[in-house]
Amino acid sequence: MTQAIEHLNPETLNAFIDGELPTSEQEGVQQHLAGCHQCTLRVLSATQLKAATARAGHRFAPPADTLARLTAQLHREPQKTARIHPIRPIAWTALAAALVLAISLIGWRQVHQSNALSAELLDQHLATLSSAATPQVISTDRHTVKPWFQGRLPFSFNLPDSGALPPDATLKGADLAYLSGQPAALLLFTIHKHQVSVFVIQRSGISDNPAFTRMANNRAGFSIHYAATRDLRFIAVSDVNPADLDLLVSAVVKAQSPG
Amino acid sequence: MFDTLSVPALFAVAMQPRNPRHTMPSAAAPSVAFEELALPLLPSLYNHAFWLTRNHAEAEDLVQETFSKALRAFDSFQLNTNFKAWIFRILRNTFLTSRTGIATSRTVFLEDHPGVLDTTDASPTPEDNLIRLDNQAALHSALEQLQPQLREALLLCDVEEVKYKDIALILDVPIGTVMSRISRARRTLRQLLQPQLGEIQ
Repeated sequence: MTQAIEHLNPETLNAFIDGELPTSEQEGVQQHLAGCHQCTLRVLSATQLKAATARAGHRFAPPADTLARLTAQLHREPQKTARIHPIRPIAWTALAAALVLAISLIGWRQVHQSNALSAELLDQHLATLSSAATPQVISTDRHTVKPWFQGRLPFSFNLPDSGALPPDATLKGADLAYLSGQPAALLLFTIHKHQVSVFVIQRSGISDNPAFTRMANNRAGFSIHYAATRDLRFIAVSDVNPADLDLLVSAVVKAQSPG
Repeated sequence: MFDTLSVPALFAVAMQPRNPRHTMPSAAAPSVAFEELALPLLPSLYNHAFWLTRNHAEAEDLVQETFSKALRAFDSFQLNTNFKAWIFRILRNTFLTSRTGIATSRTVFLEDHPGVLDTTDASPTPEDNLIRLDNQAALHSALEQLQPQLREALLLCDVEEVKYKDIALILDVPIGTVMSRISRARRTLRQLLQPQLGEIQ
């Protein structure tokens, strides 16, 4: 059983996280992982990198006019059919599946986009929970936090006065974040000791990603609430109870229209 | 004939061969139209084309030419085989013969020697764990800095979720080379994401 002592080599590790290891080898790897903390951390880290690459790589959507031209090309070309010899039901199933896919293409893309986005939100929220993650601004004072973003963000926003926050809600600090490639203010609050991340992004022109409005309300046990003003979008992620999260989101939204 | 059809009848027609001039080859071998296989892959093909060309106009041209070529060659496609791998291979070959593709292939690339490069030392290193992935901008820039050949293999694996054996088919290299490229791509990404750690501490 040398397998259980030797650490995983990089190619075995990659094949393992890519689901490319034969079943026989998978068992050996799992045995090793059960007893090796270092390799377990490596697998975890490699899986995170893979997921992050998948999100970052899925980046260039065809502009609307390009999509229209390419779709039209497919419609226009005289349709050829595959020369196939399968049995009839399989082909019909494939045709039906392909039709359903084609029809639901747009819906799928939207769901895919918003799923990726809520996964990204959750990832960023989880990153703030780690004790090693220190926010760039640590302050409970809104007059410290707000000016820090000047020059770092292409937009401005207001923070509620500590008296205007719901009971037991506290501003802890802030960080600069990116959501779907656009800069965001990440505000860190706590409510009853639960951490809350509130992302603030600009809502203008092409950068207003419609996927933001189609996100699920919860993911992996975390609530995701969103709100918008004329210029900004707010997305809050936390495991606190949804009613408290709503109060906080309302307080932040209210701060945008003083008086 | 179509003006006499009601809407439900039109839908029923869509399930049949659309055009009288291509009737089914025989009653036992119905057909799957190219469009129905290609359309769902359009966003993926475009995304990949953009990563290859780094330019919207060229990406569109590349996908357009890929569709034309794939359609002409569709007779040679066997149904039950992987259509995605088949059309991505055409996309890639089309790219290689384009001006940008020829320019890219001129850049010198140390060819892969699977087995020699990677597996020498398997003991975990600290940098295996310590990278921050919450900075999207850093990850984007790291992906952009990857050698094109490494990035291509990694994107097919992680973004398109293509199996190693199909990546080998698309890139026309042995499967060992695919594994080596993916491994090197990930190691390079880690190295590129490393300096951030110094900045935040």
